[in-house]
Amino acid sequence: MAKLTENRFWRSLFRRPLPDSDLDRMLTMFSNFFLHILPAKVHRHSLKPGATWGLGVISFVLFLVLIVTGVLLMFFYVPSVERAYRDMKDLKYVVSYGVILRNMHRWAAHGMVAAVFLHMVRVFFTGSYKPPREFNWVLGILLWGITLLLSFTGYLLPWDQLAYWAITVGTSIASYPPWIGEKIRVLLLGGNIVGESALLRFYVLHVVFLPMVLMVLAAVHFWRVRKDGGIARPIALALHPVAGGGPTSAEATARFVPGPLKTYTLVELVRGTSPQVGIQAPEEEVPSWPHLTMRLLIVFELVLVVLTAVSFLFDAPLLEQANPVRPDNPAKAPWYFLGIQELVSYSALVGGVLVPAIALLGLMSIPYMDRDRSDQGIWFGSPAGKRAAWISFLLTVLVIPALLFLDSRFGVRQVAPGAPQFFTDLLNPASVLTTLMAVSSFLTWRATRSRRLGAMVLFTAFVSAYLVFTVIGTYFRGPNWVWVWPWQ
Amino acid sequence: MSESKKGGIFSRRGLLGIGWFSFIVSMVGPALANIRFLFPNVVYEPPSRVKLGKPEEYARGSATFVEDQRFYLFRDGEGFRAISAVCTHLRCTINSFGPADAEYGEPHAHCPCHGSVFAQKDGRVLKGPAPVALEIYEVGLAPDGRLVVDTARRVDAGFRFRV
Repeated sequence: MAKLTENRFWRSLFRRPLPDSDLDRMLTMFSNFFLHILPAKVHRHSLKPGATWGLGVISFVLFLVLIVTGVLLMFFYVPSVERAYRDMKDLKYVVSYGVILRNMHRWAAHGMVAAVFLHMVRVFFTGSYKPPREFNWVLGILLWGITLLLSFTGYLLPWDQLAYWAITVGTSIASYPPWIGEKIRVLLLGGNIVGESALLRFYVLHVVFLPMVLMVLAAVHFWRVRKDGGIARPIALALHPVAGGGPTSAEATARFVPGPLKTYTLVELVRGTSPQVGIQAPEEEVPSWPHLTMRLLIVFELVLVVLTAVSFLFDAPLLEQANPVRPDNPAKAPWYFLGIQELVSYSALVGGVLVPAIALLGLMSIPYMDRDRSDQGIWFGSPAGKRAAWISFLLTVLVIPALLFLDSRFGVRQVAPGAPQFFTDLLNPASVLTTLMAVSSFLTWRATRSRRLGAMVLFTAFVSAYLVFTVIGTYFRGPNWVWVWPWQ
Repeated sequence: MSESKKGGIFSRRGLLGIGWFSFIVSMVGPALANIRFLFPNVVYEPPSRVKLGKPEEYARGSATFVEDQRFYLFRDGEGFRAISAVCTHLRCTINSFGPADAEYGEPHAHCPCHGSVFAQKDGRVLKGPAPVALEIYEVGLAPDGRLVVDTARRVDAGFRFRV
């Protein structure tokens, strides 16, 4: 061992010896390129599982798995209409571990969609989007969007029935915006029909363009988390005795210590919310090595174990080879798009373009409306917040079936079969629900004079609606997209 | 140097303005060109005109599905007509037309993807999210006596090709 480490080469590789004190460990964290994405010290609050449930890390680990498995799969996949589907079969039956790699890639993608979404839910309900993190929330929403696009472009590649009809439907949705719609469709398809050029375009988007964008955005996302002082935590636990365990406000002020043990040569440049600034005593922080690094390693290992187990047990979906003449009946999207498919079944323009666009913009604007930092880092902020979330959830769950029932009986097409499309677009479950959500959020804000509660109502309704529509699309829609019971 | 303000052709501010303007042009121009690059000028796609069999090969009252161009060719007492099987909602292929039933009082077809329902008579929307009626294509006769359908040429619902 000594022979291995005590030579010029090793010392040039690792400039510091294996650390044996906390200070050394912190210095190693600080000077190592790969570790330096992590802070040297981390607040105890950030290490609590319940503070984050590790969802951001899980998303990132899944992304790493997707890169590794994706690059491997590329060696056996040709994006051509003739070969793509055959390559899937080869991966399954001929290539060593091909089926496992493909399973891991697909399940990791599903997992990443779920983890990124849950991460967003966590960040919202712990109020972690508040200043100075507003823009990082926006980046997070973009990253969620890119994750969905990556999934979408990914499941098109096997060129099975799901792939072919998803491209057909997806690019048709893209053609709905007035004026530019048809151009977007041609741009996506590389022509007017779904064929070789479309497959090639989605392949390039999937393996080069979108991952590159995601990596850049994710890098900025992580960087900002670091620059904003790590994971959001209650501002002075002291000011909120309910949060428990923190020092009183007087104590906190008395114990305020300016940045400990950290000097910058350009110290005058380091201002504002540096990781060390804030009402916190040094003893509330612990060295990241080993407290954070160990936890990361455990999460990494857990994700791998679960993913591998799932990939051995369940095969990734693969339908019949693409048949450009007939879609399956019903032709269902993967679960995370079934909500959209349900919305689109009222109106393509509203459900496929307007509502998703409004939802994305609405989500991004949340931190610019709700800027009060007092309850950041606390789940649901306050008992009132929790109550608002529950009420919003229950109302959404009740209102959606009611709307769908009304639509099936008294929808525009039922009452006035000949009415122009404009009226169907104006008045359908998707548009009515979006309006209801916006209005109830606004009313909550006016009634309670709390923007946080207004945001709580809006966001909870959004998440609940996403879930309800997904459940409806999954279990309550059958052939020809008519209503069925889940057991039928 | 400091007095050259008045002497030069450009003021310092003006020169900087030109500089920044050129820089922006040098960035935006290629970006627009790259977007244009992505729009194909030549596509290798099947032609919109398709030649079918001779009129006498289709019985009166028959419905023929033409797979590649996805349309139905109907022959009724009045003549031939071609009705698109591509759903106007999001371009799925609709199912075959079925007879009138309790819910719809005329022959109709469902779209499997999002539940639109179309009438066989004129392709109009009976239910669902489809914004407009199914397209009806022109049917004609080629010099060699075979039927020709052009999916790029749309006609009214009342169109019939009589032989």
